[in-house]
Amino acid sequence: MTSQVTTASAPVTPRPKKPAPSIPVIVGLVLAAVFTWWAGHSMGFSLRPLIENWSNGWVVIEQFLSPNWPFIWRVWDAWVETIAIAIVATFIGAGLGLLFSFMASRVTNRSGWLYRATRWFLSVLRSLPDIAYVLIFVALVGVGSLAGILALILFNIGIAAKLTSETIDAIDRGPLEAVDAAGSGTWSRARWAVLPQILPNYLSYFLYVFELNIRSSVVIGIAGGGGIGQVINVQFSRFAYENVSAIVVALFVVVLLIDQLSQYLRRRFV
Amino acid sequence: MSAVTKPAAASAAPTRPAEPSKAKATLTWIALVVIFGGAAWLSNAKWSEITDVFTEGWRYLGLMGEGLFQNPFTEPWSGYWTLAFERMMESVYMAWVGTMIGAVISIPFGFLAARNVARPVTVQITRAFLNLIRAIPELVFAIIIMLPVFGFGPVAGTVALGVGAVGTLGKLTAEALEGIDPGPVEAARASGAKGLPVLRWAYWSQVLPEVVAFWLYRFEVNIRASAVLGIIGAGGVGQLLGQLFGQREWEQIGITLAVVIVVTLIVDAISGAIRHRIIAGSGQHVSSKEKAEASL
Repeated sequence: MTSQVTTASAPVTPRPKKPAPSIPVIVGLVLAAVFTWWAGHSMGFSLRPLIENWSNGWVVIEQFLSPNWPFIWRVWDAWVETIAIAIVATFIGAGLGLLFSFMASRVTNRSGWLYRATRWFLSVLRSLPDIAYVLIFVALVGVGSLAGILALILFNIGIAAKLTSETIDAIDRGPLEAVDAAGSGTWSRARWAVLPQILPNYLSYFLYVFELNIRSSVVIGIAGGGGIGQVINVQFSRFAYENVSAIVVALFVVVLLIDQLSQYLRRRFV
Repeated sequence: MSAVTKPAAASAAPTRPAEPSKAKATLTWIALVVIFGGAAWLSNAKWSEITDVFTEGWRYLGLMGEGLFQNPFTEPWSGYWTLAFERMMESVYMAWVGTMIGAVISIPFGFLAARNVARPVTVQITRAFLNLIRAIPELVFAIIIMLPVFGFGPVAGTVALGVGAVGTLGKLTAEALEGIDPGPVEAARASGAKGLPVLRWAYWSQVLPEVVAFWLYRFEVNIRASAVLGIIGAGGVGQLLGQLFGQREWEQIGITLAVVIVVTLIVDAISGAIRHRIIAGSGQHVSSKEKAEASL
């Protein structure tokens, strides 16, 4: 009897219907495909040179595969300069970024217009690429590491302020209530109720900004902002690819070492 | 009873707790000041020239403003606006196509670098390769390989952006794959699926929204990166900026920077809205965790 019921009901169970394709997704995919085609078409995109001109590239790659190792030590002052630029820019840029982050969070900034003005200012600051800042400051103070430092400072303010203000938005409200109940002002409120909570995260952003600064040293130098990038630029324009490749490999090692160092510091202090 | 008397006794003899030692904080501050001072000295920066920022800066800012407030429908200003806009769109195209190239290449690498998909040896090798790409800036790719092969122009920059995106996107895809719910995988295996169908229907469907959000984020990053590539002659708005700064055409620089800022803000807003919509699904609620992931 029971087996009859199950065998009878089993074939009746209808297969679930396939869900209808969602129209917004299809429209989105078509738009993306059209935009991709249009973008590729308007700049004359083609991968054919990859096959046709491969020999041109191979000549350069061959030179790259025999790096001129001693050159790394010959430009040791440029390495010191790169790291010094990164340190100075991180201290000033991330420090100012902390100040701006307090102004860019509703939690700590109770003035509506100042909050909106800061947010607006920060998004404009972030919308320009780092290279534009380097070009501006090279025009203002001339080629050299000062231009690189000033450009990185502006660039770092945007990143540090964005990350830190998002952390401030998410803090525990308990200490805020406590200091409000005790009648504290804006400054002591930020210092004693907010800063202790965000300090571990802020330190980790600080280290992240420092890593970014080392990574962007190539860009900074090529536009005239001093450091190891300037050496790369000079060697590149002389077609001394074996020197460029030694520097690139060394830069890779430096970035790895700094990643390790900052991971250690993070475990230690954060 | 005793509970009542205890606080009374404590208030009768108010002993303030000893202040914790500040020696550690002081030492940290001294160390930071020494590091900062040493770096400021070693950086070879000509600090005395910093006054130029304020004296020259105002003058140039004034010139840039003059360019902005000219009637944009008269010659030569209309030409400057059109040129800046065309070049900026070229940068956006470079960033978009580059991101698409990087996204497509990064999918297999993402699977190969996920511990719950590939074997440990494959994972180690793939991760090392992805880290290598991540450590090399796009600029170096462009200089080494792309310029000699593709010549000067936007295509070289686009391919460099694509290769550069593989490192980050592959790593993020692998991390997303490692965080999936193993249930659907088990279910697919139990119903007899093997190989590719499992990857497609159990793994890929779970990470797709997150991965597409990463792609869009990378697109936003690449818009800025494409400007950098322009400096070495790989097309886009960076090339125009490099030329203009060389000639000190401050009025035109003002116009170009304004176009860069406005277009970047608009593209960021659109892409950000799509990202949030994808991650949140059709619901309006976006949890703070998802927001944090989206802003990665």
